[in-house]
Amino acid sequence: MTDPDPATVDDYPIVIQDLLHYLGPRTSLDDKSAVALPVAAIKALLQVVQRSKANTMMGLQDELKESSQSMLDYALEGTLLGRSHIALASGCELFLKYITRTFLETPDFDACKGQVLERGEHFAGISLAARDRIANVGHGFIRDGQTVLTHGWSRVVAALLLKAAETTHFDIVILEGRPDAAGAKAAALYAQEGIPTKVVLDSAMGYVMESVDLVLVGAEGVVENGGIVNKMGTFALAVNAQESNVPFYVAAESYKFARLYPLHQKDLPTMGGLNQQHLDFVDTASWHRTGREGPSSTKKQQDTNATSTPHEPSNTVSGIVTIPHNVKVDNPPCDYTPAKYITLLFTDLGVLTPSAVSDELIRLYQ
Amino acid sequence: QQQQQQQQQQSKKEESQKDAHPPSKTKSESIFSHLPPARDMDEYEEGFSGASLGTKQQHKDLHPRVLELGLLYASGQIRGGNARCRAMLECFSDVLEDYQPPQDCRDIRAHLDQHILKPSFSYWAEDCRPHSVSMGNAFTFLKSAVASLDRDMSLEEIITVLQETTKAYVQERLDFADQVISDFASTKIVDGDVILTYAHSSVVESLLKSAASSEKKFRVVVADSRPLLEGKTLLKSLREAGIECCYILLNSLSYIMQDVTKVFLGASALMSDGSVLSRVGTACVALLAQSSNKTVLVCCETYKMSNRVQLESITGNELGSPQFVVSKDLQGFRDQKNLMLLNLLYDLTPSNVVSGIVTEMGILPPTSVAVL
Repeated sequence: MTDPDPATVDDYPIVIQDLLHYLGPRTSLDDKSAVALPVAAIKALLQVVQRSKANTMMGLQDELKESSQSMLDYALEGTLLGRSHIALASGCELFLKYITRTFLETPDFDACKGQVLERGEHFAGISLAARDRIANVGHGFIRDGQTVLTHGWSRVVAALLLKAAETTHFDIVILEGRPDAAGAKAAALYAQEGIPTKVVLDSAMGYVMESVDLVLVGAEGVVENGGIVNKMGTFALAVNAQESNVPFYVAAESYKFARLYPLHQKDLPTMGGLNQQHLDFVDTASWHRTGREGPSSTKKQQDTNATSTPHEPSNTVSGIVTIPHNVKVDNPPCDYTPAKYITLLFTDLGVLTPSAVSDELIRLYQ
Repeated sequence: QQQQQQQQQQSKKEESQKDAHPPSKTKSESIFSHLPPARDMDEYEEGFSGASLGTKQQHKDLHPRVLELGLLYASGQIRGGNARCRAMLECFSDVLEDYQPPQDCRDIRAHLDQHILKPSFSYWAEDCRPHSVSMGNAFTFLKSAVASLDRDMSLEEIITVLQETTKAYVQERLDFADQVISDFASTKIVDGDVILTYAHSSVVESLLKSAASSEKKFRVVVADSRPLLEGKTLLKSLREAGIECCYILLNSLSYIMQDVTKVFLGASALMSDGSVLSRVGTACVALLAQSSNKTVLVCCETYKMSNRVQLESITGNELGSPQFVVSKDLQGFRDQKNLMLLNLLYDLTPSNVVSGIVTEMGILPPTSVAVL
């Protein structure tokens, strides 16, 4: 995941430039204050409204739709964390719906435009504050002495756990998170904050489940029936948790609620850039060899357009076995976890059961 | 003399009771005794000519179109929630054309309600065939449309407005809804799919045809059951559209289920907890599909949603004529006092078996029906 070449930024349409501007400097993916992609997109759309020379509602709506589409295309190219494009799409759609309501209330276009900007700012404000609200509603679910299992890197989950750590003593177990070492990044953050953290193999999720009290994950998107789309492995984790009667919680902002209704795993929209990635080799080196050298505990693929941060020093491992070219490799970035495996969702709208997600979506899109 | 009078009164009462509920031989001790017994065609043969159906005193004022439609309902020539509702609204539209309130009528709306709407509907529901939820909801809509008319409107205005309102209702909540449902559901059909459907649902028929016309490669399995064998009409219609089809009866369902990828079902009504009231046999199909991990999608327009909650198939159902269940060995069933032939028309599919409900508002989980 490289930053776009500064020399070519000016060639991008203005809305993309705004988007990149609002995303801020890419200091580190661990940075918990980093702006979420959909929030930056919403701010960029507000700029579109301000710059707009349209004289009618339809004209403004068209401009906004076009800008959303170009942001989505840009994200799908893989240059902007291709995985979260579901949240980007749903965030833009919700924003459009939110301000479209203003059109219905104020028929006069100019007065309307001022109101639109105001409402848009309000919406952006809500989205920014969403993470804190989620941390507030969710942190009480973790009690002293419990062990939390988490998977994947999510800023919302991180905010929630750090808030809980202010008042509670608990442990964290993190799944390694292949192929992008997301778990390793998360582990570094939690350890830094003083929470006892343990990293295990992805395949050890069944093994550790008996010593865990709750599972907490984030989401790329929340779909209509209350299921979630998240990093590959979440579905297996959820099934495992249900089997062991361990509650499975999801922390997600409400702009991630998407109007999708997947019926099975392959029914998900294409994930863009990351789908084309291939594992070029299988790392069969033993665990202690990939152990604690350097700041990250594991090093994954050598593919240079991978999602891992460019700042991690490469810990090359000897004893690598490569897969011959006539063997197919399938590495989708996300899977779909049906609603029946999810206990509760922590959102900025409150704590919801999966069936309440659809009610909220009906309300939001009404 | 008093005794004679009493006897006369009693026999009159019995006569009227006999008229109200034709004495078909469904045994009264059964658990289905709360449902109105079916019109047994053999018993009531002359009763099925239109003139006889309208021979009672209170029916003399009914418009001939109403009687005609009643006959079509009773004989089963018009079946299906959408078809019955459409026919009903068309009939009311025609009746309004000829409507003339009496000269001294002060409130046309009340007269219309009491002399046209109510009598016609109760005639259909009580003497011909119990009404479906779709008909009930449409009738409620029509009554509220009449009630919301201006008191001072002229007769011509009232007739025009009502006719336009019913036309708009049919267009929006039936035709347009069907189109939107077809569009949503077609997005879920992918190349290589094997779609299972049961009996004949007009919505499922139109969605399969629209998916076929958008060049998707799939095939359909039509499951069917006695006595109505409605799947045959669906099969014919799909073959005319060039869709590859397979036809089975319910007993082959478990065999065919391994090849099936998706199940599309229609509904007569949607309860507010998400359970689906549909042609008897639908619950079997849905249950078997779910236990084999196949997706079950129920296609239903929002006007068919009911405020009721039903927990099982017995409390709210309809009895069909038992003679349709008869095979040659059971010819003498009427004379056997311990034998009851049951011909139920509907059953209830619980909401946990349904993967999603396709309405014109989108695809929803069953638990969200109440929100609509």
